[in-house]
Amino acid sequence: MLLNRDDWYETSRDLDWTLSYVDPGVAFPARWSGAEGVPADAWQAWDEPFRVSYRDYVRIQREKEAGVKAVSQALGRAGIYEKLDPAHVAASHLHMGTTCMVEHMAVTMQSRFCRFAPTPKWRNLGVFGMLDETRHTQLDMRFSHDLLKADPRFDWAQKAFHTNEWGVLAVKNFFDDAMLNADCVEAALATSLTVEHGFTNIQFVALAADAMAAGDINWSNLLSSIQTDEARHAQQGFPTLAVLVEHDPERAQKALDVAFWRSTRLFQTLTGPAMDYYTPLEQRKMSFKEFMLEWIVNHHERILEDYGLKKPWYWDQFLHSLDNGHHAMHIGTWYWRPTLFWKPNAGVSKAEREWLNEKYPTWEENWGVLWDEIIRNVNEGRLEDTLPQTLPSLCNLTQLPLGSAMSRHDLAPHQLVYQGRLYSFDSEISQWCFEQDPERYAGHQSLVDRFIGGQVLPPDLGGALGYMGLTPEVMGDDVYNYAWAKDYVPAATA
Amino acid sequence: MALFPITGRFVGDFVPHLVAVDTEDTMDEIAGKVASFSVGHRLARRPGDPGYEVLLDGEVLPATATLAAVMAGQEILPLQWFDVRFRETADA
Repeated sequence: MLLNRDDWYETSRDLDWTLSYVDPGVAFPARWSGAEGVPADAWQAWDEPFRVSYRDYVRIQREKEAGVKAVSQALGRAGIYEKLDPAHVAASHLHMGTTCMVEHMAVTMQSRFCRFAPTPKWRNLGVFGMLDETRHTQLDMRFSHDLLKADPRFDWAQKAFHTNEWGVLAVKNFFDDAMLNADCVEAALATSLTVEHGFTNIQFVALAADAMAAGDINWSNLLSSIQTDEARHAQQGFPTLAVLVEHDPERAQKALDVAFWRSTRLFQTLTGPAMDYYTPLEQRKMSFKEFMLEWIVNHHERILEDYGLKKPWYWDQFLHSLDNGHHAMHIGTWYWRPTLFWKPNAGVSKAEREWLNEKYPTWEENWGVLWDEIIRNVNEGRLEDTLPQTLPSLCNLTQLPLGSAMSRHDLAPHQLVYQGRLYSFDSEISQWCFEQDPERYAGHQSLVDRFIGGQVLPPDLGGALGYMGLTPEVMGDDVYNYAWAKDYVPAATA
Repeated sequence: MALFPITGRFVGDFVPHLVAVDTEDTMDEIAGKVASFSVGHRLARRPGDPGYEVLLDGEVLPATATLAAVMAGQEILPLQWFDVRFRETADA
């Protein structure tokens, strides 16, 4: 008689060697497992809530793949892509360039779980995570390859992480830290719990809803399919947190606090502009802040409470940042648009501006006045004054511009000297993250450091664009060719 | 004379810039370089052209002082943050 899954599941997932020819500390070094300070038998309590056998996994994934491919083929034949709003399309360029290779980095992280996680239950679950992430990489590659004939920017799904484009460097820096440079325990807290269980909702649920509303059924379907995997393998975070909180709550608190802020800054860059500026106004479902509050903030507060942890010390600053950080990243990316591989929408027509002011009551004073000067220059034919002439100063933690975390009224120097070198930060919070583990971050050179160090030649903006791998056919420009600015031309001269 | 990179923020703008200055530049010249990336780009010019002034750690620096002279008085590392604003002081 064939056993039911529940009859063999516990034994199967907990199958382990009793090591006799090698010291367990050598087979599972603490610097890889992250198990230091936690008694070996404590991991017996590690229990993932999402149970799956390999047979079930293969069956379900096969069905998902068939579904995604069928939709993709049908829509490809119908020529849907060519009919999409170009501002929305830019969001898919941004996503594919900055996310595809992150999925591939996650394969490495999950394979580390498979090999070095401190319990066989986790190592078994890591196998499914590894296969998931391989699938996500391939989905992104296939989607982008199919659309290469429509736009060379989709080449950046594969190319981006082999360039020095500044935004890509920022994304790569974060995931190098949270996935590749992290031991299993840290990676589970930073990536599985914070990024995958929390923040990917904003990329894969909110953006999927916006994409569907914009008529981009193919991309929306892909995002939703990926999210079903994320929701499962993200479960590796909770049991890890439960064990760590029991034995080292201080480490758990610090790891989550660093990961939460770094994730916030990343998604203010990747998703905030796409939701609040690139998605056509009539198709927006929620503002970025509304989505963050409902899906991320409440969720994170609940986790902290459930596990007996405190809100991060910077909570009030974080909430203030939700009103500002992605607006800063948006005006910055639009202004430095030749440094992008997608075409950003300014998103500040009068109707859009009214929406921004309704969603963000401080928007006009913090951001509108800066756009007013840009609009004046556009309408008076001084486009050269709306283009960059030098690099923005960059944060040595997030690699994002100084000033892009809060509003212009909050902008203040956050600098420290470590081993003779001056480091700059986009906020008090990023400086605090650096101070928790300076050796971890100190060696990295931001794009500004590379520029003044002589790695960018010729040492001017043109040299920087070349260094970043930006070529004329992909280089960013205003996606509507400044048509939105006509709203502001006085009626008599319009 | 030597090129020296600073972090230059024009007060009111949202982002500081990487600004290449010369150690022999006066504060007036440094102010002009920092302002050139913000004023007329994201910040409106002020009527009457009040000029600019440079602040280091919240203190206004003399308009004719060179960066080299400031560096002689205190340690200034590459990428030191300097603020520039529309002139508020009567005699800088």
